[in-house]
Amino acid sequence: MACVCAERDNPYLPIPVEIAKIITEVDTKDIKTFRFAFVNPEDEARFAYTPGQFGELSIFGKGESPIGIASSPTQKGYVEFTVQKAGVVTTALHEMEEGQRMGIRGPLGNAWPIAFLEGKNVVIVGGGFAFTTLRSLLNYMIVPEHRGRFGKITVVYGARNPGLLLYKDELEAWGKRSDVDLHVTVDKGDETWKGREGFVPAVCKDVAPSAENAVCVLCGPPIMIRFTLPVFFELGFSKENIITSLEMRMKCGIGKCGRCNVGNKYVCKDGPVFSFAELDKLTPEY
Amino acid sequence: MEKRLLTKDAFAAALERLAAAKRVLGPVQDGDNVVFGPLEPGRQPALGYRNTRNAPKNALFPHTETLMRFTRTPKGVECAGQGDDPAETVVVVRPCDAQSFLLLDRVFDQPGCRDPYYVGHRERTTVVALACPQPPYAACFCTSVGGDPVPAAPAGVDVLATDLGGGGGEILAEFLTPKGEALLSFFEGQAADGQADARKAQAGEKARAGIRSQVPAREVLPILQKNFDHPFWAGLHGKCLACGTCTYICPTCHCFDISDEAKKDDGVRLRSWDSCMFPLFTKEASGHNPRSSQKERWRQRVMHKFRYIPENFDLVGCVGCGRCVLNCPVNLDIRKIVQDVAKI
Ligand SMILES: Cc1cc2nc3c(=O)[nH]c(=O)nc-3n(C[C@H](O)[C@H](O)[C@H](O)COP(=O)(O)OP(=O)(O)OC[C@H]3O[C@@H](n4cnc5c(N)ncnc54)[C@H](O)[C@@H]3O)c2cc1C
Ligand code: SF4
Ligand code: SF4
Ligand code: FES
Repeated sequence: MACVCAERDNPYLPIPVEIAKIITEVDTKDIKTFRFAFVNPEDEARFAYTPGQFGELSIFGKGESPIGIASSPTQKGYVEFTVQKAGVVTTALHEMEEGQRMGIRGPLGNAWPIAFLEGKNVVIVGGGFAFTTLRSLLNYMIVPEHRGRFGKITVVYGARNPGLLLYKDELEAWGKRSDVDLHVTVDKGDETWKGREGFVPAVCKDVAPSAENAVCVLCGPPIMIRFTLPVFFELGFSKENIITSLEMRMKCGIGKCGRCNVGNKYVCKDGPVFSFAELDKLTPEY
Repeated sequence: MEKRLLTKDAFAAALERLAAAKRVLGPVQDGDNVVFGPLEPGRQPALGYRNTRNAPKNALFPHTETLMRFTRTPKGVECAGQGDDPAETVVVVRPCDAQSFLLLDRVFDQPGCRDPYYVGHRERTTVVALACPQPPYAACFCTSVGGDPVPAAPAGVDVLATDLGGGGGEILAEFLTPKGEALLSFFEGQAADGQADARKAQAGEKARAGIRSQVPAREVLPILQKNFDHPFWAGLHGKCLACGTCTYICPTCHCFDISDEAKKDDGVRLRSWDSCMFPLFTKEASGHNPRSSQKERWRQRVMHKFRYIPENFDLVGCVGCGRCVLNCPVNLDIRKIVQDVAKI
């Protein structure tokens, strides 16, 4: 039986997927990465995405949650999301097992402005679990086919403590690369932690990436953004060259339900990615 | 374009015949109210009505609508198909409400992202508009927002019926589109001549003059663009109960929620009307709420209708039906608020 959920002309019908793998990311166990395989192989092409976009994870009977895409389109055959347990839908998801089926609507929203980043140095700054779509961007930029299109890549990534760092295997692999300047930091280390300690803004100040032909892509909790922005302004980055992703409560994800309306934009459709220059033009309601 | 003259009784009879053949939604008497609802076969349409208490958006964007069905399978719960196909429908509305459909089109029928449910209803809906030679309420202000009580050739209307008055009441029915002409067989009457046109034009002049509320709906755009943080906003919502009535009865408000309902092995995903006037509308999982008080929510309602929609579509997001003015339990009046904004 062909499921009508495969019909592309209905943006409300989720694409059927199967949970291929679940990775528990953090010591507290409340953040997991879910790897989904498409039930119908032709759906992979339909789900062609760009880093920075999101999907609505759909658990029938529970509801939907907007979640940023954590994998990169250069990783074939599946798509990944890293999800924190927060409420009804995300808790139900955390209770699911490999092999079970659910749905994804998407890809939704705009994306990190890849064309704008091309030929420039890119500084990625992430805090907490907002690092997910930045991971997608980084993995996209560093594959051999793409690496030459971007200049120097600097990454500053912080978590509250070592147990809360996501993607630990990848952090190690990125750290070994000579073409990625990676700085991982924790607010407070523990006995096993040999890396850097300190807050993200302080580390950014320390690393002091040049603003010359550079773009900063910044994502994290509001408080981190508030203290990190001045650091980049001081380094000479303009508002046009600092880019972020907004979070709003969402339902439809396609600019109809009115929930994520900020100024004359809908975050789900016109965002979630905005430069700080664009945010200045919106009404400050996010 | 075909034009016919019918007596008022013949027009009502035509609607009754139509209701026997198709799904017709229009003004029906319900106790003390005239509401927009199904005109059941054999039932007289309430043609003497002023305007229905509820807006007709229900026809295109139902209060609750099934988006999809799902069912339990050995692999877990899976999608089992989309909601029901919409029925052929004729709606009988006032010109302001017909204009509200054009605003809903902007949201639900965007190039590149058409809402299949809305578009499905829209394509199967024929709009019969009853002009307003006697504007029904003191709260009406359609002429301030690009509307017309007796429009010449309104966009989005398939059949326009104008009561020309006279002895038994004479109705001029203009069949403006192919969809409208498809209904010709139901409306028996004589061909209308130029004299009927002249009487309609006269009725229009009188009707327009009869609309006394003037609201600077277009003029406030630059003021709203500059005064997002003005102290004015802190003073206007004090009485508001956050009941959402103003948005539920508004023909242009379109916010919705999506929720799942399951019973044993089967379930449905529904969308239902929601309101930016509700405190939890924008509350995020983290607890953060970008519009945390009624001040922000009232400002959003005004900004959306009189700034964001004009910015995006060069239209005002209000059709001047006056429903929110008449039905707010604490008498908050959007006309007055827009007038006051103009004085900021
Ligand atoms: C673009 C975008 C990207 C995101 N990316 C990620 C990501 O990569 N990883 C991640 O973990 N999270 C991400 N989030 C956040 C994520 O969407 C939320 O944590 C998630 O939706 C919570 O869903 P839930 O069903 O578990 O919570 P819910 O059960 O919906 O509860 C969430 C909160 O909403 C409120 N609420 C519940 N029901 C209602 C109601 N009917 N009306 C009003 N308020 C209600 C409650 O106050 C509750 O605290 C992202 C969000 C956006 C917008
Ligand atoms: S109808 Fe009146 S009281 Fe109710 S939400 Fe609207 S403005 Fe507030
Ligand atoms: S805002 Fe009020 S007057 Fe304007 S269309 Fe909505 S209900 Fe009618
Ligand atoms: S989530 Fe519905 S409009 Fe953005």
